[in-house]
Amino acid sequence: MLMGGLEQASSGQVRALGRNLTTMDEDQLARFRRGNMGIVFQSFHLIPTMTALENVATPLELAGHKDAFDRAMEELQTVGLESRADHYPSQMSGGEQQRVALARASAPRPKILLADEPTGNLDGTNGAAIIDLLFGLRDRHGATLVLVTHAPDLASRCDRVVHLRDGRIEDASQEAVA
Amino acid sequence: MSLRIAARLARRELRGGLKGFRIFLACLTLGVAAIAAVGSVRAGIEAGLAREGAALLGGDAEMEFTYRFASEDERDWMAARAVAVSEVSDFRSMATRGDTRMLTQVKSVDDAYPLVGAVTLDPAMELGAALAGQDGLPGAVMDPLLIAQMGIEIGDRFRLGTQDFVLTAALEREPDGAADGFALGPRTMVRTADLAASGLLAPGTLYSSKYRLALPPETELGPLKRQAMQQFEDSGLRWRDARNGAPGIKTFVDRIGAFLILVGLSGLAVGGVGVSAAVRAYLAGKTGVIATLRSLGADQRTIFQIYFLQIGALSVLGIALGLLLGAGVPLAAGPLLAAQLPVPADFTVFPAPLIEAAIYGALTALIFTLWPLARTGEVRAATLFRDAMAGARILPPLRYVLITLGLTVALIGAAILFSGTWRLTLWTAGGILLSLVALALAARAIRKLARVGTPLARGHAALRWALAAIGGMRDEATPVVLSLGLGLTVLAAVGQIDGNLRGAIARDLPDKAPSFFFVDIQKDQIDGFLARLDGDTSVSRVEHAPMLRGVITRINDQPARDVAGDHWVLRGDRGVTYAATQPENTKLVAGDWWPRDYSGAPLISFAAEEAEEMGLHLGDTMTLNILGRDITGTIASFREVDFSTAGMGFVLAMNEAALAGAPHSFIATVYAEETAEPAILRDLTGAYPNITAIRVRDAIDRVSQMLDGIAAATSWAAAATLLTGFLVLIGAAAAGAPERRYEAAVLKTLGATRAKILGSFALRAALLGAAAALVALAAGVAGGWAVMHFVMETGFEVIWTSALGIVLGGVAATVLAGIGFAWQALNMRPVETLRARE
Repeated sequence: MLMGGLEQASSGQVRALGRNLTTMDEDQLARFRRGNMGIVFQSFHLIPTMTALENVATPLELAGHKDAFDRAMEELQTVGLESRADHYPSQMSGGEQQRVALARASAPRPKILLADEPTGNLDGTNGAAIIDLLFGLRDRHGATLVLVTHAPDLASRCDRVVHLRDGRIEDASQEAVA
Repeated sequence: MSLRIAARLARRELRGGLKGFRIFLACLTLGVAAIAAVGSVRAGIEAGLAREGAALLGGDAEMEFTYRFASEDERDWMAARAVAVSEVSDFRSMATRGDTRMLTQVKSVDDAYPLVGAVTLDPAMELGAALAGQDGLPGAVMDPLLIAQMGIEIGDRFRLGTQDFVLTAALEREPDGAADGFALGPRTMVRTADLAASGLLAPGTLYSSKYRLALPPETELGPLKRQAMQQFEDSGLRWRDARNGAPGIKTFVDRIGAFLILVGLSGLAVGGVGVSAAVRAYLAGKTGVIATLRSLGADQRTIFQIYFLQIGALSVLGIALGLLLGAGVPLAAGPLLAAQLPVPADFTVFPAPLIEAAIYGALTALIFTLWPLARTGEVRAATLFRDAMAGARILPPLRYVLITLGLTVALIGAAILFSGTWRLTLWTAGGILLSLVALALAARAIRKLARVGTPLARGHAALRWALAAIGGMRDEATPVVLSLGLGLTVLAAVGQIDGNLRGAIARDLPDKAPSFFFVDIQKDQIDGFLARLDGDTSVSRVEHAPMLRGVITRINDQPARDVAGDHWVLRGDRGVTYAATQPENTKLVAGDWWPRDYSGAPLISFAAEEAEEMGLHLGDTMTLNILGRDITGTIASFREVDFSTAGMGFVLAMNEAALAGAPHSFIATVYAEETAEPAILRDLTGAYPNITAIRVRDAIDRVSQMLDGIAAATSWAAAATLLTGFLVLIGAAAAGAPERRYEAAVLKTLGATRAKILGSFALRAALLGAAAALVALAAGVAGGWAVMHFVMETGFEVIWTSALGIVLGGVAATVLAGIGFAWQALNMRPVETLRARE
């Protein structure tokens, strides 16, 4: 959350992509996220008044892309939800909602994909599918995926693992665990 | 489970306090308070009128005759029954001094006046002494306004007709002044005996004589009235007594009061929308609790009872607060109000209007809370695990629909019973219901339009978000459009009616109305009168007609009221004219005009529209009492009479031979250029001092002033409705605030700036506000048109200044309410909101 600029650090500095996030105000942080950061939440956080397509198109619109909706549709196809494009979040299952959130996060081609417990609210099958999609997106678009998880199996698929305990870094490995 | 268990559970739940119920309470309190306050003020005025009945009337009873003084028979009848009698005559005349001529309403009195109360003069003196005069000239007292208009001072001379008077004092207050009704000119008071040489009370001139009776204390007014009417009604007697000393004022206060209460009811209906929304929001938050109770074994009935009792307790609290406020404000403002009112008023706590307001409040609360309460039955225990409310039906079970319909009928029935005007109540209730339905349909249409428009707004992010929010799954449009729409509809209708009435009276009327009405032109003066105007190039038209006044007593030899009911034409005396030939501009719609030298049995030409209303046919006979003499004629024709141009319009015309012998005067209308009006007035009233000139422009000013007061009262009542609407709007905005906070948080994580989010929120509010205002405007204009077309029977045009004000006001109100709550959302860190959802 601190890395995404969603929360203010009470002390110290937060630097991401060479920028000091701690000195930025709310709007500067928003603009920073717009170009650099895609966030996937545990609780999806889709906008309930918008359809799946509109949700995915929103960050593209904010970034000023003229073809926001075409790209959003492509992104939905990537996550296998083109047939649900006109559905509202309340009309979709949790797994589908998280796939839309994934498409929304990756649509602007962010440099960092920040996923906060992305499978925490999903069953095993859906969770596995989401993780596959997440890593697939990372591989295809060359983004840095920052994954927050309590699952060691999942963490083991990452290039680098940083353990946190009570808000402090416990140890960090440069190499993949597996 | 028993009601007792439900009550116990309800009490436990209410421990949570009134959070979420502020708008609920405010809506109910304000609606009930407005109705209770209007009712209390009305009751206060009526109590004052009842207490002061005799003083307002100038006696215990009054017998009024038009056009004549009482006959010997009538005087004898009065003398036999009254302890004292006072004779007063009342007429319009011109007060002149040099070149100054002002219209005045003259009251001539005898030595017994006033039988009740006292006249207040400045300088303070006895009325008798003031009217006795000075230096051999009779005295007169005048309204200070007229003294100022005439530019005269105490001790100066002026003239009424051909009689000189000396002004001895300013008339500060006459005890029976309020009951005299609408007058076109300020008052001058003199002694009747001093008018003998004035030429103003000649046979045929227009005046009324009033006989105030001081009656023995044991007299029963009801039987005495019946006795008098039986004996003298056909000779044009009008009776009033202390039971209702100022019937005109009482009727006016009744009507205005009833109308304002009905406007107040529309406020309560707006409040009902807020009440309903608050209950919905409260129950939505209780879904988990209800599901838990269901899982613990509570049946639907118990669940309904638990929440019915809670909402019921809060409704009672809201109504009680409303009654407290509605009774307290008039009481507190009583001394101030009493000083402002031209009529006596006693402000105290009146139970009747409070009961009325409480009944309205209770019925409204029931109507608007029953449906959301009925939905509690749909919550299943499974809701604890997933959203089992999704896909719930729109309408509650049939029995709740039927009960709601029954309650609505009861509310309208109560309004009819209390207001006493079923027609006005039904029109208002119909208007409110139609508006509510139209607004609800409009809200649906807006949502549909927004859904259609969302794809078209691609590339305009703020607009697209706004449209997506309006057309989305969560219905924001309906509460906003309903709450703001109904208040704006009332205000729009009032604005359109007021603007059109003013337009008809102040703008259009002077163009088609004459410059002057001249009355009391004697037979030997009419030729000279017309000669002055003949050849004057500034005069475009002069119309004149003989004028008598008569009472229609019988139709086809039956009592007139048995045939035509209480039609206005039969109430008291009416102007009657005669003509040998069919006057120019007169259009017959049935029958024929009589031949020029016709001298057979009397024939009548009657106004076509009134004839139809009264059920008259050609060949019907009609008996008129004119100056105590019965004349029976046969209806030979019907003709069109247009009363809207303020021109000459007689309901009844007869052939010349039938009436020419009776004492009468002429009236004339003169159409002239405005610049020539002073010269015409000076020449004609100079040459004929007994003639009274009524300048139509002045009369229009007086009527416009009266309209100001009525429009102001109505606007205040409409403003109360709008204030309730605004409260409901704030309630809707407050209810939507968490959703907005959430939206703002998510949009921020996606890179939206605060300005962009704020712009989208403002746009959303503005679109909804504009839509509500446009629908309200359409409904208000339709209502205004209906009133002008069907009630006033005059033309209608849209008053654009008022319309624009409504639309801008609607947009401003929604944007204000919307942005007020969005501000907090914008300044929160996204993570606070997002975490709260996890």
